[in-house]
Amino acid sequence: MLSDWGHVGFLLLLALVFPVGGIASSWMLGLLKIRPQAPDPIKEDIFECGVETEGTAWVQFNFRYYYYALLFVIFDVEAVFLYPWAVSLDEASVTGFIAVVTFIVILTIGLAYAWRKKALEWL
Amino acid sequence: MDSVNRFGPELILLAMAAVIILADIGWALAGTGAERMRRPALGALALTGTAASIIWSALLIAFDEQGEAFSGMIRVDDFALFFNFLFAGTAAIVILASIDFLRRNRFVAEYYALILASTAGMMLLASTIDLIAIFVALELTGISLYILVAFMKDGRSSEAGLKYLLLGAISSAVALYGMAYLFGITGSTSLDEIGLVVSEANGETRSALVLAMVFLIAGFGFKMAIVPFQMWVPDVYEGAPTPVTAFLSVGSKAAGFAVVMRIFLTALGDGSISSDWATVFAILAAISMSLGNITALVQGNIKRMLGYSSIAQAGTFLIGLAVVAAADPQLLLGTSAVLFFLGTYAFTNLGAFIAVIAISSKIGSDQIADYAGVAKRSPLLALGLTICLLSLTGIPPTAGFIAKVYVFNAAVQADLVWLAIVGVLNSVVAAYYYLRVVLNMYTAEPASEESIQPGYYLGLAMVVAVVGLLVIGIFPSPLLEASEAAARVFG
Amino acid sequence: MEDTGSIVAFWLLAALTLGSALAVVLIRDLIRAVVLLITSFLGVAGLYITLSADFVAVVQVLIYVGAISVLMLFAIMLTPRAGRNNAETFFRIPGILLAGLMAFTISLVSLDTDWAVVERGGFEETASAIGEALLDKYVLPFELAAVLLLVAMLGAILLVHPEGTDEE
Repeated sequence: MLSDWGHVGFLLLLALVFPVGGIASSWMLGLLKIRPQAPDPIKEDIFECGVETEGTAWVQFNFRYYYYALLFVIFDVEAVFLYPWAVSLDEASVTGFIAVVTFIVILTIGLAYAWRKKALEWL
Repeated sequence: MDSVNRFGPELILLAMAAVIILADIGWALAGTGAERMRRPALGALALTGTAASIIWSALLIAFDEQGEAFSGMIRVDDFALFFNFLFAGTAAIVILASIDFLRRNRFVAEYYALILASTAGMMLLASTIDLIAIFVALELTGISLYILVAFMKDGRSSEAGLKYLLLGAISSAVALYGMAYLFGITGSTSLDEIGLVVSEANGETRSALVLAMVFLIAGFGFKMAIVPFQMWVPDVYEGAPTPVTAFLSVGSKAAGFAVVMRIFLTALGDGSISSDWATVFAILAAISMSLGNITALVQGNIKRMLGYSSIAQAGTFLIGLAVVAAADPQLLLGTSAVLFFLGTYAFTNLGAFIAVIAISSKIGSDQIADYAGVAKRSPLLALGLTICLLSLTGIPPTAGFIAKVYVFNAAVQADLVWLAIVGVLNSVVAAYYYLRVVLNMYTAEPASEESIQPGYYLGLAMVVAVVGLLVIGIFPSPLLEASEAAARVFG
Repeated sequence: MEDTGSIVAFWLLAALTLGSALAVVLIRDLIRAVVLLITSFLGVAGLYITLSADFVAVVQVLIYVGAISVLMLFAIMLTPRAGRNNAETFFRIPGILLAGLMAFTISLVSLDTDWAVVERGGFEETASAIGEALLDKYVLPFELAAVLLLVAMLGAILLVHPEGTDEE
């Protein structure tokens, strides 16, 4: 296992070196006057599929995104809690099963509530 | 099944909260025909839940069903049962006091469910004996209360909720850090085992323990609302709906004291560390009383005034905690003084806040100046508020008098005479601002002659609180015995 | 922490965690701060792995890096434009001093204390052990966590609900 995580760490380092190296070398080449420097307003502009940018990206979003993010977090946590049970299913007893069912039922009440308050709909 | 049985008082509250939410969903499906019955039915369900919880606790005593549950997560003993009654009773009175203010509110079901969930969390804080369960209970109590404070969703209430949430989250994190230190020192999350390892270490891990103690006091000091962790109190008390303020000032504060007593007396009860925290509590007690009372003097808003007064009262409870470790034989006296004081304070402060709800909703103002001549407009309400304020001051024959005598006596017996003197001086200062309200109600001319008539539920809640504090004032022995029995848990 | 690989990994991850956490505090732009916070979370996940807590590390990535940061980004995007920069405060200097004092005290105490150290568990998968503990000894906190999530969901929907509080 240790060496497996070591591979992950190595990959992480590589992933870090890649962008940092790119930016750093570009900056170095510019400093050494090897990279040409010709600033232009169009070049400085935000690139979005060749379409001219209009307005600003800072617009206020619909609050319903927040509902989704929130419900996502809650059910994400639920899934995380259920995973260890699924892994240890062989050893889990009947009481363990009841505990997990209770856990899910409690959260289902929340889901029913969200549904009733129309938090699941995009109006 | 023993576990579930002993967990019953909390379980019934949580189950009732779920039933209320589901019933509300059912009502929405049933259509408009049954709409008229929705509010009363939900209120009745919530009250039934608290009543069932109280009955279950009583049955646990009757059948001697006490002991540990859920493999050492909670311990149902006299201490836990004392707080079960205190919290369930507080919740019942708060629910009664909320019915009128919820009449036009859309989120009735959520309100009751959150009150019940928070009450269950408070009960757990008094009965859990494992750091992990303590933290989950702390968060259950806290999160429900953050939402309740912001419940009105107007500018004031939202601001109060946000302040409470931010400071509450930070204080929880600090408390958790303290718990992590305890775990790091002892390698266990069970309070009993921590206590054992701490006393076996003979003070070798003292510096880390002191740091853990400081973090725990800072984290739970927020819940207890003691100086210097009291910054949130006035704004939150003012901005929250008044029934929630009443719940905060009684329930949340008592829960803070309950968990502090559990942790400090069990896990940090060893002599090498207990003298340290006793000193800290003695100093914080003196500062809380003085600062709370002096600031309360200049308040024009009655909710803010009661907020500062509750800081000062928390300082008085702290005297009991300071006494606990001053000398071993005093252990019982200090703890039972805190418990007895919490019991009387619950009735007194609830009564005061209920009177404020009744009067303020009618005159449309929380300013003390606008309470002029209330006695002429509603003699009974004015009398009730007067009795509660007298009890907060500590004047016989109210419960507050006995509680103060008890605590100051404990301080004197533990050689903390200076603390008792500070306490008595503070009572004199406090008398000034409490009696100012009383004088204003009785001697000033009212702005209008229209009488103030509280609703039936509010009136009932008021009667329960005032009768309770008078009964304790005249026959203190049952509560005294109960608090001594609860204190014996740590003996 | 005996082999060189673990030691190198620890110091690199510690630098990543603390460096990005410091940048979160110092940087003015909120979006950038959140993105740096994600790197800090990743560093913490790495530290969990060096402690042989693989399940907790995965949870850290799933919940904090995945869900919480999305929630924070949404919260920033939902607020009107005015509040997207961290304002200067006059608490800057006292804050730095206080944080320094805290760090000093904590390091002093940590070095001084004889901690209850547990032998390193080796790099084995921990999820099933956690599952057994959750459903046996810690079943009460487990169920209470569900109640906590329910309450949080209730509150979030209640507070964000567009309709007012009063009804006619």
